[in-house]
Amino acid sequence: MTTSSPSTRKGLTKIATNRLQKEFMEWQTNPPGGFNHRVSDNLQRWIIEVNGAPGTLYANETYQLQVEFPEHYPMEAPQVIFQQPAPLHPHIYSNGHICLDVLYDSWSPAMRLSSICLSILSMLSSSAVKQRPKDNDHYLKNCKNGRSPKETRWRFHDDKV
Amino acid sequence: MVTGAVSAMAANQAERLKEDGNSCFKKERFGAAIDAYTEAITLSPKVPVYWTNRALCHMKRKDWTRVEEDCRKAIHLDHNSVKAHYMLGLALLQRQEYADGVKQLQRALDLGRCANPTGYMVEEIWEELAKAKYMEWELVSATRSWELNSLKETCEAALNHQRALDMSRTEESSEESYYSHTERLKALDRVFEKAAEDDKPTEVPDYLCCNITLEIFRDPVISPSGVTYERAAILEHINKVGKFDPITREKLDPSKLVPNLAIKEAVAAYLEKHVWAYKVGC
Repeated sequence: MTTSSPSTRKGLTKIATNRLQKEFMEWQTNPPGGFNHRVSDNLQRWIIEVNGAPGTLYANETYQLQVEFPEHYPMEAPQVIFQQPAPLHPHIYSNGHICLDVLYDSWSPAMRLSSICLSILSMLSSSAVKQRPKDNDHYLKNCKNGRSPKETRWRFHDDKV
Repeated sequence: MVTGAVSAMAANQAERLKEDGNSCFKKERFGAAIDAYTEAITLSPKVPVYWTNRALCHMKRKDWTRVEEDCRKAIHLDHNSVKAHYMLGLALLQRQEYADGVKQLQRALDLGRCANPTGYMVEEIWEELAKAKYMEWELVSATRSWELNSLKETCEAALNHQRALDMSRTEESSEESYYSHTERLKALDRVFEKAAEDDKPTEVPDYLCCNITLEIFRDPVISPSGVTYERAAILEHINKVGKFDPITREKLDPSKLVPNLAIKEAVAAYLEKHVWAYKVGC
């Protein structure tokens, strides 16, 4: 294989490292449409560029997703948040946290980062208004000191957007 | 009666010596451990574990000849000793006896899977086996590709020679004969490319890879929903994430997983033909 794989940070299990290398190669040959993996040499932390789909509220806008893979990936979901500025969306908090079930309770090890990305893009595309979640201020107050969104007890009450 | 009592005493003494050996081994005092196991063997030569334990000490000291001797003795006493087949395989690989080494590792793997399908031994043996297969393939495929290249050059030279002869006979180079000559050279290219195909590492087909590990199956099991997973990965998922099928999300009890023998055979056939796919990681 001639592709240069990013070096591994300590802390990933062997199964996680192998799997991330495979996903990385898959991204290089066949990235999901609308996404770009920003080159880095860190296998455990990816930065991904998201381009809003044409014909939606986010057309011609570009955002950055920050993805951190846990030690026991894929038995645990990756932590995915938007870097600043996060898109204005009813399910995206101003600190970049995303309310999306597949990132938390509905994660399954058969999913890949590319399927997560497509879920996020479809969430953006189906939005009818550009606004923050109603409980944005309240959520931010409970999220001090850079707490991970994976520690939030999410309630996925709204399936429409 | 008396001899019975004596041999029972000897057996007890040998067991104590084995314990001594084990504690020396833990402290990495391999020489002292070897001495203890040797005494145990002298007292009770028919206990395979004494031989495999001593073999492990020899292995730590990279004394491969003795590893081989002790393992052969242990296998003679117990045909089903996973450790003996495993270490014998490694010793044979050290001597570049690839075919026999691989055979021993394969046997160790089969026995190990019967005993404890998700144990660390199985993982370790598989990796050694894959490494050996891949190394053997690197050697063999290099020779094969060299042979193919030189054969191709010879064929091309022969075709060019033929063309030169034809031209000197007809004394005029028709466009038609030029065309058929280049076509032949192209066909030759295709034939040789085809012949080299199996030795060219590409992607393993998705249907032979687990959806969790994304790697080629080693020990595939099928869920009641009909999805096939790598045994160790699906069991870890059930333990850590939950008792559901990762793809269909239907309820999944570990006792409902059964080996998928058809996929296992398909993987074996694929690996036989595409040995490079043994490569672990990237």
